[in-house]
Amino acid sequence: MTEIVRDQTVTAAEHKVATGPDLRVPFGLGLAALACVAPLFLGNYPLHAIIIALIFLLPAHGLNLLLGYTGLLSLAQAAFFGIGAYASALLAVHFGTPFYVNFLAAGLITGAIALPLGIPALRLRSTSFVMCTLGFVIIGQAIAKNWISLTRGDMGLAAVPRPYFALGPASFTVSGTVGFYYLVLVIAALATLAVYLIVRSPAGRNMIAIRENETLAESVGIPTWHYKLVVFMISAIFAGLGGSLYAHYLTVVSPLTFQMYYSTTMLIIVLGGGAGTISGVIFGSLLFVGLTEALRVAPELRMIAYGFFLLALVFYFPNGFAPLIGRFWSFLERRK
Amino acid sequence: MSGLPILDISGLCKSYGAVRAVDGIDLHVNRGEICGLIGPNGSGKSTFFDCVTGLAKPSAGAVKLDGQDITGWSLNDIAREGRMLRSFQKTVVFSALDIEENLVIAGQMFTFPGIWSTFGIGAAARNRVAALRERARELIQIAGLWDVRFQPAGKLSGGQQKLIQFASMLMPEPKLILLDEPMAGINPKLIERVVDSIRLANTSFGVSFLIIEHNIDVVTSLCKRVVVLDQGRKLAEGTPDEIVQNQAVREAYLGG
Repeated sequence: MTEIVRDQTVTAAEHKVATGPDLRVPFGLGLAALACVAPLFLGNYPLHAIIIALIFLLPAHGLNLLLGYTGLLSLAQAAFFGIGAYASALLAVHFGTPFYVNFLAAGLITGAIALPLGIPALRLRSTSFVMCTLGFVIIGQAIAKNWISLTRGDMGLAAVPRPYFALGPASFTVSGTVGFYYLVLVIAALATLAVYLIVRSPAGRNMIAIRENETLAESVGIPTWHYKLVVFMISAIFAGLGGSLYAHYLTVVSPLTFQMYYSTTMLIIVLGGGAGTISGVIFGSLLFVGLTEALRVAPELRMIAYGFFLLALVFYFPNGFAPLIGRFWSFLERRK
Repeated sequence: MSGLPILDISGLCKSYGAVRAVDGIDLHVNRGEICGLIGPNGSGKSTFFDCVTGLAKPSAGAVKLDGQDITGWSLNDIAREGRMLRSFQKTVVFSALDIEENLVIAGQMFTFPGIWSTFGIGAAARNRVAALRERARELIQIAGLWDVRFQPAGKLSGGQQKLIQFASMLMPEPKLILLDEPMAGINPKLIERVVDSIRLANTSFGVSFLIIEHNIDVVTSLCKRVVVLDQGRKLAEGTPDEIVQNQAVREAYLGG
């Protein structure tokens, strides 16, 4: 009996999406199929825009776990993005290690760095925590600029190799835009799956509890501080993995990789797409990163247009686009 | 073992600067007992609660739970043991989540052995959550919230939220529950339901209670023993009848 009732009602825990014959599965599969054949009908420039969007999806997923699910606003994503990019580039340039080694090492290194940074930072509350994470970005950039023997300062690291895979004697390099597109697509899909599994696990439920009311969460036995630290590390790992892809795609890293602008971009993706939803963040990264890339044709108007667009977003969609996506589903359900 | 009080507090003090909000209170709660704690506003009841449950650090004194010294433990340290839980004066629920999710969350940390296991996605984790859901549904039915169980908790009335909070506290099968004004701001019909729930939890699940409450009818009907605080000190202690007759209590609190 409970199952029948469940079908008719909406649970907030399932993000207000009605269950039952689910249209999202065929729709998602359709989108996935479309993504697989996209290079057949998209030119190099739109493909490039999508690659950048999918690269930014990783740190955005991380930020969404932190902000959307655990309720912690962090501006440090650009710092971890930069650390991942530098870690990957340094390994590739100095040791010539294959891509997957650099990629995984970038994730591990950022996670390991996030631990000692998170321990003091997470003792701070609200605004102080935000300011502290902002500091990480500035410190990261300063280190990248001034530790010249390692990072070559403002010159940056050039000639980061394109991703190459080596298994025994066989090896191959992902060189073209299309090849990189598929590489990023697979990684983005795996990252999305990982986020899905995390938020659907009991830990995901505890994270939402912390977001909703931290004191209440503590009073029901949830070790909130430990969860915040673990999620902070996971979000850093996601950012580091994104940075690694970025380094291998652009083949150059410089102190500009540690930009506040990147942190705000990731924030806009999460808030604009819909914090606390996975589909919203995917949509957000395609829209906001894709949009800035598209606006590059009119560089002087670009930031102004972007600014107006964000203002319009705040006024008309204060919760991001996720509620709009939700309404779209219920519209389809009603038509059936 | 059974003679030992479940909660034994001696000489508890809490000062904020020169103000002694709690000034040397001795109090115990026996096993299976429902004990009332009353007193005028500002008499230190809530501060006392905060010091006992770890939300505030006592300046002096000792708190023993089940014979174990827990003085100075944090709210989370105490809650994680699942033996003593508390409610808050201002009712709080996880407002965006439905009732069932609220209750599952309230039980999770007592079912999973540690933080890492909660990231599990395998059959073991799913079975644990399924068992929690089962218990949550039982408690939702007992609390009379079955019809609204899929609504976001924040959308429900204050009284219903009190019931959710109460049901949440029963999830880990605690030995002692501290309630801070459970009847404040709810209508008479729901008061009866909350009283019934407390009584049921006491008789069927063997939970002991320490209850701060201004509604003197509720206190006299539920509690066998009442402690009165005034200006951070214990003013009187006794059966409800003795308390109502007590001249000092009438002057300080009950009026007339």
